[in-house]
Amino acid sequence: MAEIRFEKVCKFFDKARIIEDLDLTIQDGKFTVLVGASGCGKTTLLRMIAGIGPATSGHIYMDGRDITDTAPAKRDIAMVFQNYAIYPTMTVRENIEFGLKNKKVPKAEREALIKEYAAVVGLTDYLDRKPGTLSGGQRQRIALARAMVKKPAVFLMDEPLSNLDAKLRVQMRSELIELHNKLKTTFVYVTHDQVEAMSMADVIVLMDKGRIMQEASPEVIYNDPNNVFTAQFIGTPPMNIIDMPDGNKLGFRPERIALSYAPVQGDFTRKGTVLTREMLGSETLYKIDCSGNTYMAKIDDPNFAMGENVYVHVANEHLYFFDAEGQRIREKGNETLFAQLLKTAGGMSNV
Amino acid sequence: MSDLTLNTKPARRLTRKSVANNLFSWALVLPAILFLAVFTFYPLVNLIQLSLYRGNITNPYKTFRGIENYIDILVKRPQFMTTLKNTALYVVMYVPICLSLSLIFSVWLQKARKMNNFAQTCFFAPHLVATISSAFMWSWIFSPESSGIANGLIRLFGFNTHNWLGSSATAMVCVMIMNTWASIGHHALIFLSALKSIPGEVYEAAELDSSSSIKTFFKITLPMLSPQIFLMLITMTTNSFKIFESVRQMTGGGPGISTKTVCMFIYDNAFETNNTLGLAGAASIVLTIILMLITLLDFKGLEKKVHYQ
Repeated sequence: MAEIRFEKVCKFFDKARIIEDLDLTIQDGKFTVLVGASGCGKTTLLRMIAGIGPATSGHIYMDGRDITDTAPAKRDIAMVFQNYAIYPTMTVRENIEFGLKNKKVPKAEREALIKEYAAVVGLTDYLDRKPGTLSGGQRQRIALARAMVKKPAVFLMDEPLSNLDAKLRVQMRSELIELHNKLKTTFVYVTHDQVEAMSMADVIVLMDKGRIMQEASPEVIYNDPNNVFTAQFIGTPPMNIIDMPDGNKLGFRPERIALSYAPVQGDFTRKGTVLTREMLGSETLYKIDCSGNTYMAKIDDPNFAMGENVYVHVANEHLYFFDAEGQRIREKGNETLFAQLLKTAGGMSNV
Repeated sequence: MSDLTLNTKPARRLTRKSVANNLFSWALVLPAILFLAVFTFYPLVNLIQLSLYRGNITNPYKTFRGIENYIDILVKRPQFMTTLKNTALYVVMYVPICLSLSLIFSVWLQKARKMNNFAQTCFFAPHLVATISSAFMWSWIFSPESSGIANGLIRLFGFNTHNWLGSSATAMVCVMIMNTWASIGHHALIFLSALKSIPGEVYEAAELDSSSSIKTFFKITLPMLSPQIFLMLITMTTNSFKIFESVRQMTGGGPGISTKTVCMFIYDNAFETNNTLGLAGAASIVLTIILMLITLLDFKGLEKKVHYQ
């Protein structure tokens, strides 16, 4: 178990600034997910913890100990790579055993550990096979066993599920959550998939262009976003954002919309036409055109048809306001401005 | 009876179809078979026939000698066995040295340094020079006079000049140095492309697994290069058994016949001395059999250790 702290960390590749002056604390024993679009610096951050892609400047601490310049092998971490990075010329057993042998773990203990962790990942029958003869999911399990057998203080995972098919991914996701519950070690998991982030994380660190946009639990990130970026990154479809006459922005989640044929008085209500309808099963997705603005709505009722005239209604408690820079304007501390914004939003209604 | 006719008809139709299929398949492989027959099998049969006669280029089949030619080269005349020994010695020196040096150079060139592109070109350039020209150049380097670079260098360090190519102790080593110099870039390039195909993540995983760089090389890099090493081992062995131009230019087989190789023996008996074409033929057959055996042994002994992706 360990806490990891980044202090004023920068990373440049040649002249490209990937990460600048980043401060972040990854809590001990938590399942932390670094999420963001490709190139946002999340993998760079993970490689810094592993020690295989050193920071250009700044410091990284593990339980207060400065590990900025510590060799990867001496960091008490294990990593699972996106392409598994298992040793193709070694058998499953040799793959799991390699790190233990290098650490001069006695043979009897090695055997016991291999047996234990092969059983955990369900590879007991495949120990003498070469990875080339196994499926993608099984190879991923080798990588997991190889990491687990070292009993690291920190578990790093770089998009470990992205090469698996959808069904296996869902299954492995719950297995990883179970694994974290069992091991209770610090997990740092990198993904670009917000669903993976939301479903697995204790703490989500959402990144964009090398900066941290928000660091919070999945519930907070979804219900209380700090900025437009977070509001639109998390949630499918993303939050509807529209420009207000005063230059600020108004946002509301597609799930919070109520559709009706008759106008609803009060709060935010606009008249519109159904452009498209996607039936997803338990929910239906509508794209609605309201005199120039298009909103996405996700509701239970599948009975609205394309081309129909409908009313979009969002209650005041589900409205979010952001300033021109995209930063959230919260009610607390800004009561007068917030009341003003609510009034402006209400004024945008065209019923 | 009617049942029988009903049963055989479709069967016959199938047979006709399969014959047509067969003919079509044969038509497709025919060009390759013809090519092999004309340029490989016929010359081989011809060679075997040649090895059973006494004759020369203008009249190869003067008198039939049976296996006398084979008895001559293997038992009666010791020269062939000496050339075989010389060639084997060369192969035993050249293959491991050239193979390991190519490997070391490729590992060195693998690191992304600015000078490595330049170094790569430098190593590869000798491969583009004709062997005969390289041999001529190295003859000059190993010249017995003090104008030779080798002698100039050792004189600089206060040693006496040495007749490199004129001494049976060093002549073959000089030929080996020349050939290593000429081919190392080519082999290193093949290893380099294989090295570059190993994903970097595997090395990072090894680093996280506390593997030392030497252990990583022997446990990860080397096994992953095994297909290339195996291929190179076979081609290098067979090619160096057939060494000819460089020895002929640099030492002429001398001093005495201390550097004479099997191919020089074949050449001399075929074109330089009269009525010994049959001996050359017999020597060629023996060489072919030896190379086949070595390749077979390589496959039997090593193929299981080769890791194919």
